[in-house]
Amino acid sequence: MIRPAVFLRIAAFALLVTFITAPHVFAFAFEPFTENGAPAIYDQGSLLSLTIAHLQTVFGAVSASTVVAVLLGIFVTRPSGLEFLPLSRSIVNIGQTFPPVAVLAVAVPLVGFGQAPTLIALFLYGLLPIFENTISGLTQVPPLVLDAAKGMGMTPRQRLLNVELPLAMPVILAGIRLSAIISLGTATIGSTVAAKGLGEVIIAGLQSNNVAFILQGGLVVAVLAILLHDGLMALERTIAARLG
Amino acid sequence: MIEIQNLSKRYDDTIVVDDVSMRMEEGSITVIVGTSGAGKSTLLRMINRLVEPSSGRVLIDGQDTMAVPEDELRHRIGYVIQGNGLFPHRTVAGNIATVPRLLGWEAKRIGQRVDELLQLFQLDPAEFAGKYPHELSGGQQQRVGVARALAARPALLLMDEPFGALDPVIRSKAQDDLLAIQRRLGTTVVLVTHDMEEAFRLGDKIAVMDEARLVQYGTAAELLTHPAEGFVERLVGTAERPFRLLSLTRVRDVVEPGTADGEPLDASIDLREALARMVWVGRDALPVLDSSGAMLGRVSIGGILAHGRQAP
Ligand SMILES: Nc1ncnc2c1ncn2[C@@H]1O[C@H](COP(=O)(O)OP(=O)(O)OP(=O)(O)O)[C@@H](O)[C@H]1O
Ligand SMILES: [Mg+2]
Repeated sequence: MIRPAVFLRIAAFALLVTFITAPHVFAFAFEPFTENGAPAIYDQGSLLSLTIAHLQTVFGAVSASTVVAVLLGIFVTRPSGLEFLPLSRSIVNIGQTFPPVAVLAVAVPLVGFGQAPTLIALFLYGLLPIFENTISGLTQVPPLVLDAAKGMGMTPRQRLLNVELPLAMPVILAGIRLSAIISLGTATIGSTVAAKGLGEVIIAGLQSNNVAFILQGGLVVAVLAILLHDGLMALERTIAARLG
Repeated sequence: MIEIQNLSKRYDDTIVVDDVSMRMEEGSITVIVGTSGAGKSTLLRMINRLVEPSSGRVLIDGQDTMAVPEDELRHRIGYVIQGNGLFPHRTVAGNIATVPRLLGWEAKRIGQRVDELLQLFQLDPAEFAGKYPHELSGGQQQRVGVARALAARPALLLMDEPFGALDPVIRSKAQDDLLAIQRRLGTTVVLVTHDMEEAFRLGDKIAVMDEARLVQYGTAAELLTHPAEGFVERLVGTAERPFRLLSLTRVRDVVEPGTADGEPLDASIDLREALARMVWVGRDALPVLDSSGAMLGRVSIGGILAHGRQAP
């Protein structure tokens, strides 16, 4: 038997896929939001390719944030890197306090329009949650377990790979999830600097005063965010369940 | 054999282990006792170099531990800590396999070794191999912790309050199991505890530490009959001393010829328990049977008390 919650997610996913591959099927639902015979369904490009581009941007930025933040988190929790902990914390915090729009404004003159400034903004914005969670995950590993690992003759590297990272994984994953969800929403502003993504649909709606477009862009991003959140959450739970 | 020579550990200005020298015989159990903060754990952890000595040295079978890379040294020395420190993300089998894996044993050999150890510790491999530590009881976790430490057949086993977290009944069982397994494998064991009962029960030799110093090192009987200083005397408990002494001797060693009425005693129980049974059933003497059920003779309250008086 399928539980209602699972059923709801499968239904949401099916609806999403149908909508981005064949949006015209849903024209009737968006007609009430149009005025003066404006198109009910976004007609300036394929929703499917925009969704894919959007996800690619998010995936690229979050992957980069993950690699950098996790490596940095590992470094500052080693005995040799401990003194850099406060410094790196403030740097990463600054990355978070800059509004992404401001980052875009600064980045465009440097790297030009398109995907690049968006990636930079999302990358910087995504660092903090992953970095903080990596640190808290690694420092939460029970000292007793580490002592046992050391006492059995594991080298620092073996301890990191075989004990610390696996035990910190659920917390690190929670950071990545947070980052991914923030990026998914924030990526829409990338369209203001000509990055391909679902923001285009929303901006087209704003420019032509077409509420139907705005709703479509917004809804697709929202459903993506919910599904991504649930998927990563399930993954965290599976891993955490093993740790008891 | 382990030889500790003038071993000291200093943190800044405080000395936590002060010039300790002692020798632990091959295949024996040495128990280190003392009050909290006396430096027991530090002394133990200097043997596998989890703590680097400030001065002095440790020789294992004549070899200076400083001459071996620390990871290699630790692969050869089993290590068990209070609360066992099992890896929560690994199954029982995975935990036990830790050191063999580090040593690069092949999978089949590791599998066999894991099964063998689980059986040795009375844990059915089919049931327990795939469980995670949080699915086990405290006593089972503790057994897995010891099994893990023994996996690569170390000649030396270091245990830091291994039974500290167990309730009295399970603890007593765990102590019996350790004794049985140690006698069978011939492993040299160094065990830290602050439980004097445990020290008397397990230790072939007992080392008493107080304020960083080794104040006495000898057999249980030596500690009871000739305590080196007031501290040792207080530690072994003045009031309990005669009873402790009694519990070091088995009934089989004081059997008298003759018979007696009443429920027979097993020859392997200690005099303290035998005395308690006689007082409980209200008899001056009870018959004694050996483990096969053959009558050995009798034991009397008078005989037991006579034994408690004489210095061994
Ligand atoms: N890394 C350290 N830095 C400074 N002092 C330490 C360190 N490790 C231990 N000490 C001190 O050394 C002393 C002895 O510690 P140790 O852990 O050896 O005691 P112990 O006899 O095992 O006590 P317990 O029975 O409470 O476990 C204590 O006073 C402790 O505070
Ligand atoms: Mg201790």
